Amino acid sequence: MVLVMAIGDLHIPHRAMELPAKFKSMLVPGKIQHIICTGNLCIKEVHDYLKSLCPNLHVTRGVYDEDARYPETETLTIEQFKLGLCHGHKVVPWGDLDSLAMVQRQLDVDILVSGHTHRFMAYKHETGMVINPGSATGSYCGMTYDVNPSIVLMDIDGLRVVVYVYELIDGEVKVEKIDFKKTSATT
Amino acid sequence: MSPAAPIEPAKKTLPESSSSGELSPERADLEKCRRFGDLRGVQWRIDLGILPSSSSSSVNDLRRVTANCRRSYAALRRRLLINPHIPKDGSNFPDLVMDNPLSQNPDSMWGRFFHKAELEKMVDQDLSRLYPEHGSYFQTPGCQGMLRRILLLWCIRHPNYGYRQGMHELLAPLLYVLQADLERLSEVRKQYQDYFTDNFDGLSFNETDSAYKSDLEKGSPHMEDAIKNQKDQVKDNYLNELDPKIQTIILFSDAYGAEGELGIVLSEKFMEHDAYSMFDALMNGDGGAVAMANFFSHSPLNGPQNGLPPVLEASSALYHLLSIVDLSLYTHLVELGVEPQYFALRWLRVLFGREFALEDLLVIWDEIFALDNSRLSGGSEHESEVSYGVLKSSRGAFISALAVSMILYLRSSVLATENATSCLQRLLNFPEDVSLAKLIKKAKSLMTLAIDAINSKPVGVRGQSLSSDLVAPGSPRSLVPESYWEEKWRVLTKEEEQRRQATPQKLVQNRIKGWSEKVKMRLSRTESACLLSKVNHKIVDRSRSPIRKNLLDDLAHQLGSEIDEKLASEDDSKVRFSSVNGGSEENSSIFSDPVSPRCFAINNDHGNETERSSVASNSSVIGNHPAALYSATEEVASPLPVSDPPEDMLFKEVQNDCTKERAVTNLRERRLLAGKFQWLWMFAKTGPEGSAEKGVCTSESSISPVTECNQKNAVPSSSTTDGTSKPEAVIESVLEQQKAQTEPVAKIALVGRGQITAMAALKELRKISNLLSEM
Repeated sequence: MVLVMAIGDLHIPHRAMELPAKFKSMLVPGKIQHIICTGNLCIKEVHDYLKSLCPNLHVTRGVYDEDARYPETETLTIEQFKLGLCHGHKVVPWGDLDSLAMVQRQLDVDILVSGHTHRFMAYKHETGMVINPGSATGSYCGMTYDVNPSIVLMDIDGLRVVVYVYELIDGEVKVEKIDFKKTSATT
Repeated sequence: MSPAAPIEPAKKTLPESSSSGELSPERADLEKCRRFGDLRGVQWRIDLGILPSSSSSSVNDLRRVTANCRRSYAALRRRLLINPHIPKDGSNFPDLVMDNPLSQNPDSMWGRFFHKAELEKMVDQDLSRLYPEHGSYFQTPGCQGMLRRILLLWCIRHPNYGYRQGMHELLAPLLYVLQADLERLSEVRKQYQDYFTDNFDGLSFNETDSAYKSDLEKGSPHMEDAIKNQKDQVKDNYLNELDPKIQTIILFSDAYGAEGELGIVLSEKFMEHDAYSMFDALMNGDGGAVAMANFFSHSPLNGPQNGLPPVLEASSALYHLLSIVDLSLYTHLVELGVEPQYFALRWLRVLFGREFALEDLLVIWDEIFALDNSRLSGGSEHESEVSYGVLKSSRGAFISALAVSMILYLRSSVLATENATSCLQRLLNFPEDVSLAKLIKKAKSLMTLAIDAINSKPVGVRGQSLSSDLVAPGSPRSLVPESYWEEKWRVLTKEEEQRRQATPQKLVQNRIKGWSEKVKMRLSRTESACLLSKVNHKIVDRSRSPIRKNLLDDLAHQLGSEIDEKLASEDDSKVRFSSVNGGSEENSSIFSDPVSPRCFAINNDHGNETERSSVASNSSVIGNHPAALYSATEEVASPLPVSDPPEDMLFKEVQNDCTKERAVTNLRERRLLAGKFQWLWMFAKTGPEGSAEKGVCTSESSISPVTECNQKNAVPSSSTTDGTSKPEAVIESVLEQQKAQTEPVAKIALVGRGQITAMAALKELRKISNLLSEM
C-alpha cells in the first residue's frame, strides 16, 4: 500500500506561478510515501515544497532546472515494481512510444515515468507501463495544445498497481483509474 | 493467539476476614454474587453486565450469552477492518472523485483508511509503553495485536470519543484477568485431566466393580503425581464429587451445547472477543451511571447548561466528599490551589490503574465491579440541579470513596506540603506498599457519606471554579480529526470570525472617549474576573467604584511614583480616585494588552512576585489622583454589561489560563465578602506563598465596594465553562480579564519595585501574548 506520486514539468516560476489551488489542497503531507518528479521544477522552492510533502523525493534533470545536480535518469524499486524516471527531452521523437519503450528496456524497469510533452499519457503493455504525468501546473508547451494540469498517483500493492490520474479540466478535478497487474514477481 | 509466557494466576484476593464484623449481610450478598470468586474473568463479566448475574443462571445460560457477545464482536471485526484495495463487489463502481487516495472527503474509503492509520499510530504509541514491568505478557506481539485491534475497533465504533490515552490501560487488566482464568483452567486441567476427557470406553454397567477397576487401570497413567495414591484408588468420574469451583471450571471449558466452541466460557480462542465485550461494557457503563467513556469526553454530560466535562464533575464530587469527611485537609488543598482534577483525572480515567501495581489493582477492581452500577435515584430531581450524575451509583460512590480514602492515607504528607507542586507530587506518586485491605475498608466505611455527597446538590461555585483547562486547549488536537486539513481550515475561519467579532468590541471601546466610559469598561472586565462565582447583588457603592477604574487606567500608562501614598490611602476612597491622565485616552484594548500579558504570565509563573509587585506599584499610582468619578460610576453599571457579554462568553477560556487564580479568587471572595480584600487574596494566591497577602490585607471597607461594583456588573455576564476553545478570542479575553484582575490587587499589594521594570515586563508579556495569539 505504497502511494507514489508522479509529478513534473511545473516550470515554476517561468511559465507558471504555482500549483493550482485544487491540487494544492489535495496534497497534504503524510499520505504519500514517494514522490517522483520528471523534471523542470525549476527552482529550489518547488523542490522544498515537494520535500515537505514527502521526504522521499526523486527528481531527474529537466531542460530548465536550475539545480544541475539532478541525475539524468533514476530507478527505484518499490514493493514488486521497478520504476524508472527520466525527463524525456533526450528521447527523440519526443513522446514516441517506441523510443520510450527502448529506454524502458534499457533501464530494465516495469514502469517508466517521463515527461516533457506536458501531456498526460499512460500506456500499458504486457511487461510494463509507460506513464507521462503531464504538467502539474498546465504550463505552456510548444508541442501540446490545451494543456490541462495533471498529476499521477500510483498505489502500489504487491504485484498490482492502481494508477490514479488527477486532471484539472475546466476548474474541476477529474479522476481516472488504471489498473495494472504484473505477471511475475521481480527477482 | 495466547502469549508465550504464562502469567501467575492472580491469587491475591481480599481476605474475607477484613470485612467480617459490620458487613455481614453485605458479605452474604457478595458471596452469592461472587460465585466465581477465583475466576476473575467470569466474575468481572458478570459484574460488568455481560453475563447474566442472577444466581440461578446455569452454565448453559452463561454459555449462550457468551456466544452472543462473541458473535457480535466477530461481525464487528469483519465489518470494520477496511482494506481499500479489496473491492466490495465488482459491480460497485466507486465515485472516483470521492474515493481516490488524495481525496479530502472523510467519508471516502481512503479517508477512513487514513483515519484508521492515524488512530493506529496513536494506539501503537501507547501500547508500546504499556505495563513494561509485565512486559513478558503485555509486550508480546500476540497480546499487543489483540489490544490494538480491540482499541481500534472500539474507537472506530465510537467516533465521538476517539482514542484517548488511558483507554489502553483500562483494557489491559481485563485481558490480563481473562488470561489468568485460562491459566487457572490449564492448571485444573493438568490436575484433573481425567475429568476433561470422556472415558466411556472402559465403562461397563454390568459390573460396577469392574468399572471401578477399569477406571483405575485407565486412570493411573493419566494421574499426575500431585494426586495422592489414595485418591487414585477411589477416583471416579463423577463431577459432583469435586469441589464446586473445580466443577464450574470444568464445565466452563465444555464445548457442548448449541453454541459449540463459541460457548466455551473460558476460551483462549475468543479471548479477544471477551475482552472487547468487557471493555465495551466498562466504557458504556452498561446502562448504569459510571461509564468510563464519560471520563474521556469533553462535553458535559447533561447538556451545556451544566457546563462541566464529566471528569471535572467527578473530581469536584471527590472534593465535595473530602470536604465532608475531612474539612481541614480539604481546606489545605484548596488553599494551596490544588484542583482535584490535577490528580483525579489520572485516577479516574484509568480507574486507579497507575496508582497501584497490577495485582493490587485487580483486587481493587474486584471491589469496584462488585458494586452495582445502576443509577441511584435520590437527591434533586430537577435537571438543572442535578447532582453528580457521572458518579451516581454505588459503584461511583465507591470510586469516590476510594479516592478520598487514598487522599486520607496521604493526609500527613499532604498537610506537610507548602505549595501546590509538592502536594501534587505526593498525591501523584502513591506509595507502593499500601495496605489495600485498610484502604478498601476505609472506602467502604465512607460509602454512605459518599452516596449522600453524590446525591446532594453540588456546590455551584466550586464546580465553576474547576476549570476546563485540562480539556480545552488540547481537545482539538488530541482527537484524530477526520480530515486534519479540513479541521484546520475550520479552526482558522473560526478564528477569523472571532477576530472580526472581537474587533467591533474593540472599536466600540476605542470610540468611547470619556474617561469614565473607559473606566467602566475596565471595571466590567475586572468584574468579569469574579464572574465565575455566584455573586450576590449588592448595592453598588458608587463612591468606591472609581477606585478600581483609577487603578485600571493608571496601570496602563501611568508609571507614577506615588505608590506608597497609594497604599496608605486605602480607606479614603477619595484618595483613590486618580485622575486618569492619559489613561482614559488610551484604548482599553491596548490597555489590556500590556497588563494582560503580564497577568497571563503571572498566572503561569507563580513565583513571579516582582512582576506582580510592579503591577501593583503601577496600579497603586492610580489611587493618587482623586477624581470626580462619582458620577461616572453611576453610568458604569448599565453600559458595562453590554460590552461584557461578548467577552464574558469567552471567559470560559480564561479559565484555561487562570484557573487557579480564579478558583482561589472565587473561593476567597465568597468567603470574605470583601472586594478589595478578596482581590488581595486572589492576587496573592496566584503564587505559592500564602502568607504575604495576609500582611497586605487592607481595610475591608475600601475593598468591599469595589467587589460589589464588580459583582453587580459581573452578574449580567453569564459564565459557562464551555470546554470549546476559541483560541484567539480566548487569549484576548484572558489577557483582559487578567489585567482587570490584577490591577486592583496591584494597587493594594506591595511597595513599588520600579515601574520601569514593570513596563519592561509588560512589554515582554505583550510579546508573549501576541505569540500566543498567533499560535
